Amino acid sequence: MEGLLVEEAMRRKVIQLSHDVSLDKCINQLIKFKVNALLITDETRCPVGAVSKTDIVGAFYGGLPIVESLSMDIMRKDGVHQLFVQGAEPCAMVGTLSYSDVVALLYRYCRACPKGAVRRSELTDRSDETQLLIVRDAMSTSVISCRQEDSLARVIEGLTAHRPGAVLIQDAKGLPVGVISKTDIILAYHHGSSLEVEARSILQTPVASCDENSLLSDAIRHMFLKDVQRLFTYAGDPSHIVGVLSLSDAAHIRSGSCRACITSRIIAAP
Amino acid sequence: MYARDIMSPRFHTLSPANSIAEAVKMFHIASVEEQKRIFGLMVIDEKDQLVGMLSMYDIIVFIQPKHIHVWSEIEDLEAQAIFGELLDRVKSVRVSDIMTTSVVTVKPQTHVMAIADLMIKRHIRRLPVVDGKNVSGVVYISDLFYHLLEKFL
Repeated sequence: MEGLLVEEAMRRKVIQLSHDVSLDKCINQLIKFKVNALLITDETRCPVGAVSKTDIVGAFYGGLPIVESLSMDIMRKDGVHQLFVQGAEPCAMVGTLSYSDVVALLYRYCRACPKGAVRRSELTDRSDETQLLIVRDAMSTSVISCRQEDSLARVIEGLTAHRPGAVLIQDAKGLPVGVISKTDIILAYHHGSSLEVEARSILQTPVASCDENSLLSDAIRHMFLKDVQRLFTYAGDPSHIVGVLSLSDAAHIRSGSCRACITSRIIAAP
Repeated sequence: MYARDIMSPRFHTLSPANSIAEAVKMFHIASVEEQKRIFGLMVIDEKDQLVGMLSMYDIIVFIQPKHIHVWSEIEDLEAQAIFGELLDRVKSVRVSDIMTTSVVTVKPQTHVMAIADLMIKRHIRRLPVVDGKNVSGVVYISDLFYHLLEKFL
């Protein structure tokens, strides 16, 4: 990644709102532009904070009316949800950068790399396959789950206590039946749902998943094509969930497909 | 000449609670019934008040995968099938979730040249005409175009 510039990966559209808008408007913009956070500006259009989906979930849990204006309690001035990229002027934000943007850039480099798993059908030396990363190398084994009859309040507690991006929803037998993400929660808030409704009423199906022994590059491609932030991972049987792989996890590995980049970094290190 | 003289008094609307699928059907119905392509619809609440606009552009922006530039680099892609799966996930989204809420409107007595000025400066192709609290019509850029250039017809 040495030499790569932020501007190569960043998104150039910054969604910003005035500090006096309602939560209703914030949710509308988060959903409409599929972003995880909004930049909040003051009367002079200078940034004063950011509002993330996590903040909106907190407002729902706290019982704030949706027509309520933003308050500094909701905005997390110091929390890092994504990075806003500053332009030449101090107040001018020219882009945003999230983990998924970094992975997207890495994926494009991997496609162009002769050692990359993305083009493994073209590999001349099959021994190179031992260098390929698999999902288990990057995934987290901590999976937060709820039952489909649990309340949204219970789901939110799971989301906030362990900070995963989504909760796996299971049936009475413990089999996976769906997923609830922060996006689903804020949509429920926007639609006037109560915190007491059952998880089954808003869960998304099917569960986007992959085998833990799949190639990391295939899983990343799968996430990009399905437009999802994470895949639940299973060991052999799709109903046996053993972990979760997010684009953030993939970004932490800092390679889209194989160990070649990691090795080169170690060799290049002073 | 004013907005009330060139506006279309017949218009189709959406409810904030409509699904995206219902909105797409309404775009189609409106285009057939109006005998012209309708690219944007007004969103009216239960009190008959204008609360937003939804355009085809809004829907396309929303359904577009976040990392579309990666899609464009993958040659062996069954795009149609994958895109169909993506649309299944839009089922829980309503018109109110993605509509544009800051709507520019004009009054029935707004002059046509003021309307032309608004459309040019704000890149607007349709303007709701609001009388008091309720919508009385809509001025499409084509209405304005044919009115201003009638001499050439």
